[in-house]
Amino acid sequence: MNGKRIMIVEDEALVAMMVEDLLGDLGYEVAGSFGAVGDALAWLGGDQDPPDGAVLDVNIGGEMVFPVAEALRARGVPFVFATGYGDLPRRGFEDISVLSKPINIGQLGVAVGRFGHAA
Amino acid sequence: MLDMATDDASRRQPETALLTLVETIEALSGARTIDDVAAVVRSSARQISGADGVAFVLRDKGDCWYLDEDAIGPLWKGRRFPLNACISGWAMLNKQTVVIPDIYLDDRIPHDAYRPTFVKSLVITPVRPDDPIAAIGAYWAENHQPAPDVVAKLQVMARATAAALENGRLYASLNDSLERRSFLLRELDHRVKNTLASVQSIASQTLRTAPSPADFAESFEARLMALSRAHEMLTKQAWGRADLHDILATAFEPFGGLEGPRFTVRGPAMDISPETAVALHMTLHELVVNAAKYGALSVPAGHVVVDWAIEDVAPKRELVLRWIERGGPAITRAPEREGFGSRLIKRGLARDLGGSATMAFEPEGLNFTLRAPLSTRVAQA
Repeated sequence: MNGKRIMIVEDEALVAMMVEDLLGDLGYEVAGSFGAVGDALAWLGGDQDPPDGAVLDVNIGGEMVFPVAEALRARGVPFVFATGYGDLPRRGFEDISVLSKPINIGQLGVAVGRFGHAA
Repeated sequence: MLDMATDDASRRQPETALLTLVETIEALSGARTIDDVAAVVRSSARQISGADGVAFVLRDKGDCWYLDEDAIGPLWKGRRFPLNACISGWAMLNKQTVVIPDIYLDDRIPHDAYRPTFVKSLVITPVRPDDPIAAIGAYWAENHQPAPDVVAKLQVMARATAAALENGRLYASLNDSLERRSFLLRELDHRVKNTLASVQSIASQTLRTAPSPADFAESFEARLMALSRAHEMLTKQAWGRADLHDILATAFEPFGGLEGPRFTVRGPAMDISPETAVALHMTLHELVVNAAKYGALSVPAGHVVVDWAIEDVAPKRELVLRWIERGGPAITRAPEREGFGSRLIKRGLARDLGGSATMAFEPEGLNFTLRAPLSTRVAQA
């Protein structure tokens, strides 16, 4: 374990469970795993330490994940998107990397490995 | 000289009118919207008829809607009258052209609506005579009997207008279909990728806990079939929202179905989003497979009850769904190893929906309870 704590926002349980496993395989700890934008925002608003990074699905049960992305940015927490949409409009977040689904563990490892290195 | 000039004009006029009519038909054939059609009618009907004013009137449910006009004085542009209270309504309802040389001698005319206008005589012709959708009106400032060829030209124009309105409707519907098609292709791409991600997840998690390749093959295939049945159920309703009862029926189908003696299900109609329906179906699949292997469905007398209700838990309302096994072998303790199934059952849906799940291994059988706040994903029907 490298001790880094990663947050997951993903509305499909099956996919979330796999991302949790993959992060575990890569030596990360799951800081929190949420299926709804509101739950993720409520957790971020709590008084625990912010996570070291986050993996965000974009369309969360019909809601866009961007409020969570903004909250993370405001706290200086790095994140990546993971989505099945080929060309998703994400105004204001053009510089954030996007992992396509199905998720490749190698790409996930590279993206999450950059957390803490890039500003 | 004066006589000759008049003579020239009267000889030239029918040709000009005919040419305008042909040009109008050409312009109408290029019109794509009702507004395009109205603009063409407005700009040419006066020239064709030689009238002092023209109006383009749409039939809008029970009303005549005076959409556009071109006249020497204001008519009724933008106004609506009931079909049975205006003469264009009469023309549309009676499916025939009406010619009135003196409007104040005709009882079908609502005289009060005409008194502020210049109109003394008129011709109204319906557009698409067998089922009128509009009318073209031509109005004159003096009493006169409009010539038969003027009436005939207005009728030709009305026929071209009918074709143009139909073209416009087809054009709009074709455009809608094309937009819908590209939207559906994007959605399909998204759904296929998400489904592949689900399959990837099922494969990798089944592999993690499978004791042997044969166990892997059996569990993986059963889960793949469950995913496939969930998709089939959703496809039948065009990937719209699903009812909880239908989800249960689909999940229990390989085990004798809801009609069989092994299941009792009861609860109010629930309206579940497609993504949640898939997760719920997969969860029920794991529960029912577990019951068939180790629980109530592993013996002939066993029985599963699924009941659910909406409870008020201030400040929100929750769906409380219970899975209760009875009549099976006594369960002494929970399974030691946590596999894909129990992980999905305990955390999957509860995590997705911001709720909670509990699994209790009681002597009479397994009890599973899911509590989920009502949301767009889980709503009361």
